[in-house]
Order: sequence, then structure tokens, then C-alpha cells
Amino acid sequence: MPLLLKTHYKLARTAIKEHRTRSFLTCLGIAIGVASIILILSLMGSVSNLVKTEISELGNDLMVVRPNHTKDTVSSIVEELTTSQSFQKSNLTTSDVDAISKIEGVAAVAPIAVSTNTIASEKNTLPSTTVLGTNLDFIKIEPLPLRFGAFLSEKNEEKSVVLGHTLSLALFNTINSTVGKTVTIMGEKYMVVGVLDQINKTINFDNIDFDNALIMDIESLSQTSGPAQIQQINIKAANTDGMASIADNITKTLTEQKHGDDNFKVSYGDDITHPASGLFNIISGMLTTVAAISLLVGGIGVMNIMLVSVAERNHEIGIRKAVGASSRNILMQFLFESLILSISGGILGLMLGYAFAFLLSTITPFAPFISWQIVAVTLVTTIAVGVIFGIYPAIKAASRNPIESLKHYR
Amino acid sequence: MEKAVSENIIIELKGLTKRYGYGDTESFALKDFDLTIKRGEFIMIMGPSGCGKTTLLDIIGLLDRATYGDYYLNGENVASISARRQARLRAKKIGFIFQNFNLIEDLPIIENVALPLIYTGYSKTSRLKHASSVLKRFNLDEKEYYLPYQLSGGQQQRVSIARAIVGSPEIILADEPTGNLDSRASFAVMEELKSIHDEGNTIIMVTHNPALTVYATRVIHMLDGQIDTDVKTVSDANLPQPISVRIKKHQPEIDLPSDDGKHKSKKRKKSRRKH
Repeated sequence: MPLLLKTHYKLARTAIKEHRTRSFLTCLGIAIGVASIILILSLMGSVSNLVKTEISELGNDLMVVRPNHTKDTVSSIVEELTTSQSFQKSNLTTSDVDAISKIEGVAAVAPIAVSTNTIASEKNTLPSTTVLGTNLDFIKIEPLPLRFGAFLSEKNEEKSVVLGHTLSLALFNTINSTVGKTVTIMGEKYMVVGVLDQINKTINFDNIDFDNALIMDIESLSQTSGPAQIQQINIKAANTDGMASIADNITKTLTEQKHGDDNFKVSYGDDITHPASGLFNIISGMLTTVAAISLLVGGIGVMNIMLVSVAERNHEIGIRKAVGASSRNILMQFLFESLILSISGGILGLMLGYAFAFLLSTITPFAPFISWQIVAVTLVTTIAVGVIFGIYPAIKAASRNPIESLKHYR
Repeated sequence: MEKAVSENIIIELKGLTKRYGYGDTESFALKDFDLTIKRGEFIMIMGPSGCGKTTLLDIIGLLDRATYGDYYLNGENVASISARRQARLRAKKIGFIFQNFNLIEDLPIIENVALPLIYTGYSKTSRLKHASSVLKRFNLDEKEYYLPYQLSGGQQQRVSIARAIVGSPEIILADEPTGNLDSRASFAVMEELKSIHDEGNTIIMVTHNPALTVYATRVIHMLDGQIDTDVKTVSDANLPQPISVRIKKHQPEIDLPSDDGKHKSKKRKKSRRKH
């Protein structure tokens, strides 16, 4: 039997070689589908990898409280997109931050509240700029590099802001002499106390592009633009040993504080890497669907070419049956053919996908991400495509009546 | 001796009927057909078109099934065995020769000849070795890697004979093997068949050409799905037998060529009378 399988494989390979062009085009159909899936998987992998590296740089003592998106449906996403403020509705408050800071084993707690405001300097006015409201603990948890000046401190807590590198350039056309100047937000004047160094990490676990953000005290933010929505609370534990029990304590405390409302989630370790926005998941889900559709079209291409092949080789099928091939032999021969087409398409797609991912990495921060899981998923998928779309033509070939087939000679 | 002869029965057909269509369109290709074939016979089946010759050959070759009736191959009833077992028997015991050669156009001669061996589990090298030695016998060894269309009709038919005997089957079925050939090529093909027969192979051949019946040991005329006449020109005891059978029975070798001439003249007379 293994010998016969080998023979089937060789026969199929010969048949494919005979029709090089059309086999290649069929492979290409599969390859494009596979390549787009690989590209998306690689992008998703590289995004969570970026966040993972960041977190491991920050240390294992990081913990995050986020609102729980139990109702993370397409309509809530659409609502989110159509409202001017692009962050989630959250039930986290500053009193939650205070409560967490009192828990044993917690070293630092910083809220992350984001709003979008118009910021004006003496030179420029920038509409819809990201404003991050936080507290003094923020820098303890996430030591952002400063280019000039200082971070918010107890001395200058109120009425002072820290600018991102790019934002500073946009507002004042310079970063050198920005410290000490004033910016106007909602009619209130604030002094710039510090400018961040270029960070160039748009993907991070805070979901904030720090290069383009303005950082200020959360109380001041609430006073200028209404109560701030806290989209995330960052927590630094005193040591890494009791992470689970600290997380439990936080959950308990917050649930008490909110009178049983458990619409939040405490995560630490690898759990943090899940990108904060459900939008990301929806987009990657949609992209995967589109890629799957192109793979489906590729599969239909395989089926089409196999049906043509079966029709063309009707006579051959008759001869093979007459000299002793069973229906199963014929079935296997054609199934191997479609499998070879789809698997070689898959391998081609794997290479194409990573080539694209590599090209993309030259202009974006997304490094190509390869894992054996992605390769395995691709191979299993292409084998499935080969079988699913090859089985019907193969059955059709196998069920040919040899007497009828022998009458068909070209 | 009597017992030995009855053991020699290779094919036995009993009450074989093949019906096409139902009701008003009903027609019978074979009607209550009985036939016993012994090892070593060279049977020619003649008859007008549509008398069921090809259907009979397809059923004997296990390509088709009778509507009802029994078919014993080597004593085993194969009328209703599974398609898979039919295929296996076809691969091991039956060789086909067709009027239109039925070679696979895309495969070189040698692979065409080796085709049946794929399904009896030979490795590629042994398949090609085997095919090559058979082709040598037909003096086609220089054309091993030609494609079928590069050969003449007579050569193509000899290739298909090579394909039929490559797996050393017990029965060779030929459906008008000379139908597409001129008289010279026909002669060459018939000589090949004769030499295969002399080695003890059983051949069943359908033909329209009465001149060819000189090669046969038995001539059957069919009419409307039934046997019209059935004439044996060689007694059962004188049928050529495969070497293995001959050794088993401790019989002296039968000297066929010496009484061949006698039969030929007899048969020729008969066929002249009929047509």
C-alpha cells in the first residue's frame, strides 16, 4: 500500500508537470489566499509581540485593570467609531485608583484617562490631540524617557503638562526651547515642564501614541474637559511573588467599591498583551475573513482545474480501469493531484506572505512574525482545501464507467 | 485424463443474461448464455454487429456485469463480487487488447506497457524492467521512450499486446485487434497472438475477419445474444498448456507446430463454406 501511494504521488506529479502553466496558475490562486492569511497572522503576532517585549522590559510586576468588554459587539464598535471620543465607555473612577493604592503589595497605581482636545500654542492650534490624564505614579510604572525638563511632580502637579516629541514639534516647531512655554487647552493655560524623547512605539499596552500625546494631571483634565473616562489603570506590584493574590484582592476591593458591578478585568503577565481595543480584533477578524474568502476562491480554482483534468483524461481513466485500477486507485490518483496543487500553493503562499511581511516591516514597526503554529495552521488549511475541493472531481473520475470511457478516444 | 481436462476449465458461464433498458425499450445483448472455456483455448467469436460479442468480452473481462446468470472464473463465482475485487482480478488475471489500441497518449511506450503492474504492486524500477523485457520480445525495445503517436498502427497494437501480457494474465481478451490494421500489420499481430497462445495462454478474440479463424482452436458464431455455432478444431487434450501446468502433470510436451498445418487447412475450408 505505501508503494501504491508513492506511485499515486508520482503519477499525480507527472500529470501536473504536463500542464505546467495551468497548474502554476491554480497554485497561485491558493498561494494568494494563503499569503494574505500569513500576512495577517504575522501582523497580529508581531503586534502582540511588540506589546509583550514592552511589558517584559517594564518587568513582571505590571498589572492592569481594564473595563470588561462583555458587550463587545460590532454595534458597540461602530458607536465607538462614530463618537468623537475614541475610547471605551468605562466604569473605572479615580476613587478606584485610590482604593487600589491602599491594597497591600501594590507599589504604584496610575490611571490612564484619554481625551481628545484642541491644543493651542503661541504659534499653532492643533485640533483633536490626544490628552493623557494620569497621576504622579505613572512614571514609576512606565519610565518614559525625557528629552528636556522633568515629568509631573508634586511641586508642579497642577497647571503643568508634558509634551510628546512630535507634538512639541507640531506646536512650537522645535523641541529645544519648549520647556517653560505655555499651551492653552479649553481656555486654560498650562506650562510645559517636560518634553519626551522620541519613543516611536505606536503599539503599546496603554494604546497611546506617546509621541503625539500631551500628558497632564488627571484632576486638571477633569476640571477642564469634564470627568475623565479612565480606560485603564496601571499597577506596579511591590514584588512579583504574589501577583495572583494581589489581583484577587484588587478584584474583591473594586467589586465592593462598585457594589457588585464586576464590569472590569484585572490582568497581568501575558494577558496584558491583548490589545486594549476591541476594534483591533474586529479589524483583524474581518481581514482574516477576506483572506479566507480568497482562499476559498483559490480552492474553487483547484476544483475547476481538476474537473477539466478529469474530463480530459476520461480515456486514460477507462484504460487504467481496464488494466486493473480500482475506483479507489483512480480516486487516490486525482486526490493526490489536487493535494499537490494545494500544498505547493500553500508553500508558495507561505513564502509570498512572509516576503510581504518583510517588505511591510521596512516601512512599519511590525517585524515579520514566524511561529510553527502559523506554519502548521497553513499546512493543515491547504491540505483541507486540497481534500475538500479535490474530493468531488476525484469521486467523479473514480465513478466513471470504464466501458463508456474507453469509447471516448481523442 | 478426463479429470485433468475438467480441472482445466478456466471460465464457465451459466445462464448469463445482459439486458439493456426496461419495458418497451428492453433489449438483450446476451440471452441465457452458456459457455465453458478451457485453459489454452484460442477462441474466436464472430457474428454480426450488435449480437453481443463485445458485451460478452466486457463481462468476461469483469468490466461489466451481467443482469443475471453465473460466471465462474477458476471455479469461483465472480458474477457478484465487489468492484474492488473485480479490479484486482482484472489486474492479475486478465489482459485486454482493443481495436483502437487504447494507449495513454501522454505516456511513453514503456510506461504504457508497465501500466498494469502499477496495480499489482510492483516498484517503478521492476515495472520498467519487466516492461522492457516484454518489449524486447516484440522487437520494440528501441522505441521504449517513443510516444504512441510516433508508432505505426501495427506497432501500437503490438505495444498493447505487450501491455496485455506483461502481468502474465490467465486470459487475454482481444476486441477486434486487427480491425484498424492493414493486412500486413494484421498478420504480424496475429503471429504474435499465436506465439502467446502457444505458450499456453487462453485467448478470446472477437473478429469480423473470417480469414483469421485459422489461428483459432475454437470458433463461436453468435446471433442475437446466443451461440449460433460452436466448432472446436483442436481436441481438448491437444491444447497448449502453460509450462507450470505441463510440469505438474508430468506430460510430455505437446508438439503443436506439427499438427498446426493440418488444422489450418481444415479451418480454411470451413470458413469458405460459411461465407
